[in-house]
Amino acid sequence: MKIVVCLKQVPDMESKFKIVDDKKVDESQIAFKINDFDNYAVEAALQLKEKLGGEVVIVSAGPDRAAKDIRQAFAMGADWGIHISDQAILDGDSFVVASALAKAIEGIGGVDLVMTGVQTEDLQAGVTGVMIADMLNMPHCTNVVKIDTADGKAFTLNRELEGGLNEVMELGGPAVLTVQSGINDPRYPTLPGIMKAKKKQLDVKSGADLGVNAASKTEFIKMFIPVADSMAEIIQGAPEEAAGKLVDKLKNEAKVI
Amino acid sequence: MAKLLVIAEHRDGKLSEATLELCRIAKEVAPGLGLEPAAAVFAKDDALAKEVANYIPVVFSVADAAVEGYTADGYAQAVKAVVESQDVKGVLVPHTYDGVDYAAKAAMAIDAGIVSNCNKAEVEGGKLVLTRNIFNGKIQEKKSIKTDKFVVSFEKGAYDPAEAGAAGAVTAVSVSFGPIRTKVKEVIETATGGVDISQARIIVAGGRGLKDGDKFKEVVLPLAQKLGGEYGGSRPVIDSGWIEASRQIGQSGKTVTPDLYLAVGISGAVQHVAGMKGSKCIVAINKDPEAPIFNIATYGIVGDLFEVLPAFSAKL
Repeated sequence: MKIVVCLKQVPDMESKFKIVDDKKVDESQIAFKINDFDNYAVEAALQLKEKLGGEVVIVSAGPDRAAKDIRQAFAMGADWGIHISDQAILDGDSFVVASALAKAIEGIGGVDLVMTGVQTEDLQAGVTGVMIADMLNMPHCTNVVKIDTADGKAFTLNRELEGGLNEVMELGGPAVLTVQSGINDPRYPTLPGIMKAKKKQLDVKSGADLGVNAASKTEFIKMFIPVADSMAEIIQGAPEEAAGKLVDKLKNEAKVI
Repeated sequence: MAKLLVIAEHRDGKLSEATLELCRIAKEVAPGLGLEPAAAVFAKDDALAKEVANYIPVVFSVADAAVEGYTADGYAQAVKAVVESQDVKGVLVPHTYDGVDYAAKAAMAIDAGIVSNCNKAEVEGGKLVLTRNIFNGKIQEKKSIKTDKFVVSFEKGAYDPAEAGAAGAVTAVSVSFGPIRTKVKEVIETATGGVDISQARIIVAGGRGLKDGDKFKEVVLPLAQKLGGEYGGSRPVIDSGWIEASRQIGQSGKTVTPDLYLAVGISGAVQHVAGMKGSKCIVAINKDPEAPIFNIATYGIVGDLFEVLPAFSAKL
């Protein structure tokens, strides 16, 4: 099987976020990592490769710093990758990024399955995978929590629904799956894996190399730190003191214990 | 007049709450955009279309075996057909499991830009301005759509459901469906068995902040027991296998409304909050003062839960 995983490098969400000029996040205080959902997609792809043979190709659009996390996926076991490094594409919206990813996948050729996370932790849009499927004229399934295939061509999938329900559905490849967290237990790279990753092929491409001519369909206006409508009564003091006050409030004010 | 179209969502013959929330949004913003609020229902017959007509003045009913159950291909084709035949300018979709599955595909089908997962819609200078969470809710952004037609999806629970009013008109729209490439076999319950925490009066819920499964068991379980309540967890806790799936609280798990909900090491992502915001008294203990959980909690302690919880337990 030839499996492509679309991966994005995102900030660690525990970082301290500071906004610059109402339009971007100050990156100097931020640590970057693989989007959590994409990490599950990498693991799911590696498991399919281990079962059925073939190769796992990473495709990622991101600035230079993204190469670190493409190599992280190589260290987990992915075979090679394409790094779309082009500021014009990174400045575009999900439609532009999906167009670039789709062109890269087309260029690889003979792809049996495209996998990606259900959404990115930073933009939380959940549209890129579905757009790629549409552009490549492939069927898709989102929020995938279970993958069954005997031959890498016919798939039985569990799609997560509200309240603990799963829809069990079938589709034929080539297809696009957007993977939900919890589908597997992503492996950590081993030391030999990390050594090998350094030598694996990573092609750097621009939008022009890929023939991307998409333009954004949406417009970013500004970003801001949300102001909450209400805020908890914050109980101050050292742990002992705060805990004592909390017990008192729960007993005598809220009357719930 | 051109339409602002809500796409109804339903399962097992029941409309989702998200559908009625979208009806409210459509009625609120359509006048400022010079549009007429409307809805489309894709189902096996027009029973649900008649029900939706109690909430919005114009309803288009696509009654066809091809959309008896949800599929992305079926819904995208039906959206395209209604948009093209009924003078639709904008489409509103719920950002739910089904909505996420077809919204972007429908946008592609009608050459529209899409802004997904929004929590607020405003009209500024005749233009639709959308607000949405980014970076796990720590930041919000405002966006608009440049294309002639547009698709917007909304977070569940961002708006109250519309109230029923005078019955609107239902118009049948026929669609000639092309191939549908996915086949639904069945819908199954995954978290069967286990304890039902939805009736508990006190719940201690833990999140990623507990660090690992052993610490979760050491800290959360005895406290729940001491309070005479149940324990549960947010999604990452279940994904990591620290506790069983039947104890997951949130959009993809249980919805709970206890008297006391103690959230420890839980940041308060929208999907988690959806499952517990109806709790009477919410206590949040988290080391990150900017964690969104503090915005919905009654009481909060900013600090290390491994120091605060033992102290709290000792004072009980």
